[in-house]
Amino acid sequence: MVQRELRIRYKNSALGVLWSFLNPLAQVAVMSFVFSNFLRQDVPSFTVYMLAAYLPFIFFQSSVLDSAQSILNQYGLIKKIYFPREILPLAAVIANMIHLAIGFLIMFGLMFLGYLRDPRVFPFQIGTIYLPFLLIVSTLFATGISFIVSALNTFYEDVKYIVQIGLYLLMYLCPIVYFVEQVANSPRNHASGWLLFKLYMLNPVAVQCVAYRKALVAPVPTMSAGGMGLPTGMPWKYLAVHSVGAVFVFLFGYWLFNRLKWKFVERP
Amino acid sequence: MEVCGAAMIGDVKVSIRDLRKQFVVSHSGIASIKSLLLFWRKRTYVHLEVLKGVSLDVRGGECVAVIGKNGAGKSTLLSLLARIYLPSSGTLEVKGRVAPLLELGAGFHNDLSGLENIYFNAVILGLTREQVRQRLDSIVEFSELGDAIEAPVRTYSSGMMARLGFAIAIHVDAEVLIVDEVLAVGDQRFEQKCLERVEQFRRDGGAILLVSHQLPTVEKFADRVVWLKDGLVEMEGEPASVIAEYVRRG
Repeated sequence: MVQRELRIRYKNSALGVLWSFLNPLAQVAVMSFVFSNFLRQDVPSFTVYMLAAYLPFIFFQSSVLDSAQSILNQYGLIKKIYFPREILPLAAVIANMIHLAIGFLIMFGLMFLGYLRDPRVFPFQIGTIYLPFLLIVSTLFATGISFIVSALNTFYEDVKYIVQIGLYLLMYLCPIVYFVEQVANSPRNHASGWLLFKLYMLNPVAVQCVAYRKALVAPVPTMSAGGMGLPTGMPWKYLAVHSVGAVFVFLFGYWLFNRLKWKFVERP
Repeated sequence: MEVCGAAMIGDVKVSIRDLRKQFVVSHSGIASIKSLLLFWRKRTYVHLEVLKGVSLDVRGGECVAVIGKNGAGKSTLLSLLARIYLPSSGTLEVKGRVAPLLELGAGFHNDLSGLENIYFNAVILGLTREQVRQRLDSIVEFSELGDAIEAPVRTYSSGMMARLGFAIAIHVDAEVLIVDEVLAVGDQRFEQKCLERVEQFRRDGGAILLVSHQLPTVEKFADRVVWLKDGLVEMEGEPASVIAEYVRRG
């Protein structure tokens, strides 16, 4: 069954596989150039910090966007032949998981290079053992949302546009080009009695970004706000809530998809 | 070209009881969240009942042909068998793997070559890649496509697509074969080959459900003919008599 998925997915994007991987890579390259040269010079090897949070975000974004169209794209196929419809959004998620894995490998490579250049700071963390757990949570969440979006988009074609805009805005609400400490220590947050931070952390993808970053990369030694109080270390409380939520999202998405899948072909 | 004699008729492969299918023809054009919100008050649903209670049995080794006017529900019946959608009510039971041939090039990916599509299509129909590899030569030989097997499928003529589709369908170890009017594009030679292969399929105990408007073909291939009229079975029985009635009254 997995074979089938990969087969169909690969065939669908026979021309686009390489591009869909180069695209985020190029984005990261440009962003890191800009940031390490024009901004954020106080943080050594900012690229790695950015990658640690950017890769999971891109995984989520691409999974959802790719699966949004997955069923309509293959509408001709599903109209004439039977196969488990779940394959279509799942294939999108799996393809993006592979991109994520490659991305992480490159990131580890960069970290290692950084270590070679500057052996004082050992970049790898114990937290890296949490990576499989984080990957499972990310995948469950992304798959659940993908099921929902792909099913809805089949009936309402503008769902993919709404999702696209949403994801674009979401990127700014995740601590990718900044650090979550800055949110925590901002005057606005203190003024609202930490409410702002709690609201901020309601964003599940932001929780993921923070978790990945804290788990994989050593804390910033030279952040200008020095020993920036809270939060340090993994955001366990938020992560626990998010993990449970991810399971529910997955179950709900699967249920919704199953309820609607027989009606895909009959969309008027 | 003799009429196929009744092969060893086996157990029931396809069992249909009081099958009904209704389609929603219009949501008054609501295909986006935008229009859903804008036209919330004006939502109308128009239903179209296509199948109104069909009951049918097809046994292994049998070839049943379904005839009827356009719009009678023949393609809907076959699509239900191929599990494209679910019935509105009634039961539909199929024993064994189904190989559907509902449209030319269905289950093909247009940019892939014939060879790659053999893998693609056969895997969708349920084989593993290893099994496809084993049957590859046989499939290519049956389709008689020669070098064209390497070309992308969008360059194929309808005859070529029919040949390739049929070649794959009979090699997937299916127990039920469903054919919806696609064999009409084949030439005499192709029809003869199909006839022989269908004979062998029936000897192996497979069931075949066929839709065609070509009455001579139907007489040649079928053991039993079902005349579907306005979503109901109007008549069922020996090919010659049903066809005669259909020509007279239909």
